[in-house]
Amino acid sequence: MNVAALLENRRDQWAELELFCDALEKRGKVSASMAANYQGSQGIARFSALYRSACADLALADAYQLPPATVTYLHRLIARSHNQLYRANRFEPARWVDMMFYDAPQQIFADPCVKIASIVFFGLFALAMYMGRNDVLFPGFVEAIIGSAGIEQMEESFEQPLSGSLNHYVPMAGFYIMHNTGIGLRCFVFGLLILPCLYVLSFNAIYLGAAFGYMARPDAVGGDNFFHFVTAHGPFELTAIALAGGAGLRLGVGFFRTCGLMRMESLRESAMRAVPIMAASAALFCMAAFTEGFLSPSPAPYIVKAAWAVLSSGLISFYFVVLGFPRDAFTRTPTANDGQPSPFGFEDPPELTGSGGPNDAA
Amino acid sequence: MPSHSPLDTTIAVVTPENIAFDYQLAGPFRRMPAYLIDLLVRWAAIVILVVLAFFIGLLINIQTLGPFVIAGMFLTYFVISWFYGTVMETFFNGRTIGKWACGIRVIDVDGRPINGRRAFVRNLLRIVDLFPMAAPGIFVDSDIPPVFIIPTGLVGLIAMMSTKRLQRLGDLAAGTMVIIDQRSWRLPVAKVDDARVPALASFIPADYRISRSMARTLAVYAERRHYLTPARRREVARHLIIPLIDRFEFRSDIDPDLLMYALYYKTFLAESSAELPDLGSLAGYSPLRSSVAEVMVDEATDAEIPIAGVVE
Repeated sequence: MNVAALLENRRDQWAELELFCDALEKRGKVSASMAANYQGSQGIARFSALYRSACADLALADAYQLPPATVTYLHRLIARSHNQLYRANRFEPARWVDMMFYDAPQQIFADPCVKIASIVFFGLFALAMYMGRNDVLFPGFVEAIIGSAGIEQMEESFEQPLSGSLNHYVPMAGFYIMHNTGIGLRCFVFGLLILPCLYVLSFNAIYLGAAFGYMARPDAVGGDNFFHFVTAHGPFELTAIALAGGAGLRLGVGFFRTCGLMRMESLRESAMRAVPIMAASAALFCMAAFTEGFLSPSPAPYIVKAAWAVLSSGLISFYFVVLGFPRDAFTRTPTANDGQPSPFGFEDPPELTGSGGPNDAA
Repeated sequence: MPSHSPLDTTIAVVTPENIAFDYQLAGPFRRMPAYLIDLLVRWAAIVILVVLAFFIGLLINIQTLGPFVIAGMFLTYFVISWFYGTVMETFFNGRTIGKWACGIRVIDVDGRPINGRRAFVRNLLRIVDLFPMAAPGIFVDSDIPPVFIIPTGLVGLIAMMSTKRLQRLGDLAAGTMVIIDQRSWRLPVAKVDDARVPALASFIPADYRISRSMARTLAVYAERRHYLTPARRREVARHLIIPLIDRFEFRSDIDPDLLMYALYYKTFLAESSAELPDLGSLAGYSPLRSSVAEVMVDEATDAEIPIAGVVE
């Protein structure tokens, strides 16, 4: 059989496949105007049969000595049909729940990058807070970090006791979600280059720490109102920033510490591992934003806000530690001696081992 | 994968059907317009949604709904500016509106479709790929607001230049690549409409087997010869044909282009079992050297004959 006859034979099916591709690319499904045997499950079966036979033609192209132009045509036809046959999965909410309550805490608990980011963030935060509070040992520290104008503005905004209304709460909650989650996502993204991530993390830690330290001074104007404001959402928000930094570091460290994988493979692997951490961080940012929007500026008594702060810290700890504790930590790991029988041991009676019966598994 | 991969922007993908086929990769000049279109669409969507929300709030009751409208605007802005690409690529099989307009698509490096997590990573990391920023204020020294900071995209460009699959950093981290979405394409078959070709092909010895590389060369030649002038065709074909003329014992004044085309015809188009084609007006001519010798003995040469001399 020569090539011309072969092409003539196969051409009809290829044209049919192209017809399918045209319809699927335009509308995502076969149009109603096409023949009845192209609709529904019949159509899907027909499409995949056509696709497989085109694949077979390409596989045999060399044996049939098809002209190169025909081979190119087949490559393109198969690429088109491949894109239509294997389609992207839609988002699956069930998988999200799994990711948030299984993958993310496990990953956070096990990941050294999260630990490093937390130590950097909370360490610098505490240090800056101490240095900002102590005006005698470190004079001018707060002014250098925040600037005189910033201090004035901060004092001004916390001079009056907190009072708010719904008109104020709702937009602010929206704004905090946008602004703070945006910072977190940016911190994560910069993690790919490591240094910008560390910079954003340290900058936020030092800036916030200096502000806290300044407000904690006994002579600060509006210090009480300040802590009234920040107590409620503090645990959520500070943890979220540290987590975003940790996710970012995980991304960037994967490029350098490859653990035996190829560099690109390792980068891809660590990016996939960083996503649940970032998702947990974004969820924390959203919860912090709602707290910051609704509870923090409200004139509710301090004890309520403190109770919420304690409760949220407890929830975070539960999430990290109880859900995050390695699932297989309690199963006994086999030691080196397990494999070899001891010369001083005794052998199992032969009728009990290897009986091969259906109850053997028990 | 063949041991030698061509220096080209195609990438071979092995399907679950165990077939390797080629994708064409999309370079920066296709991807940048797609990005710009997406940027435009994104801002248009934000503006439209915000205006719509504002009017709905105005129509119903601005007093009670106002704060919710403002919060909704913030959230709309946040979701669209951060997750537009992720959602689009996941729902529309690796394409955003800009990619659809430019005919490109994102897929997995293994040729599988993209999933939500990969789309999330590659779209977030675009920020790093657009580094470093260039602010016109640096050069003009004026009070231009920081809105006009222009991303140069050098990081992404360098990453694309130095990777095999033209991946930017986001693609590398997500394990994706951007390919050109194949549109409909005509099946090219070279038709032989020259009556001399089948005639000459019938003189090619039956024991001559055409090798694979020879068949490929012939097919490429037949596809391209339309773009060449006759003189150029002869010049190109001569290198291959001169040894063949000796082997076939043809006369040396045979048009190399014609013989090349006849070989193509014999390989791809002629029925192997068919008897001699209808030679028509060409009957009686032969390109064979031996017949020329006979003719020379008969002292009856003829230079005007298209292929070669008279047989009997």
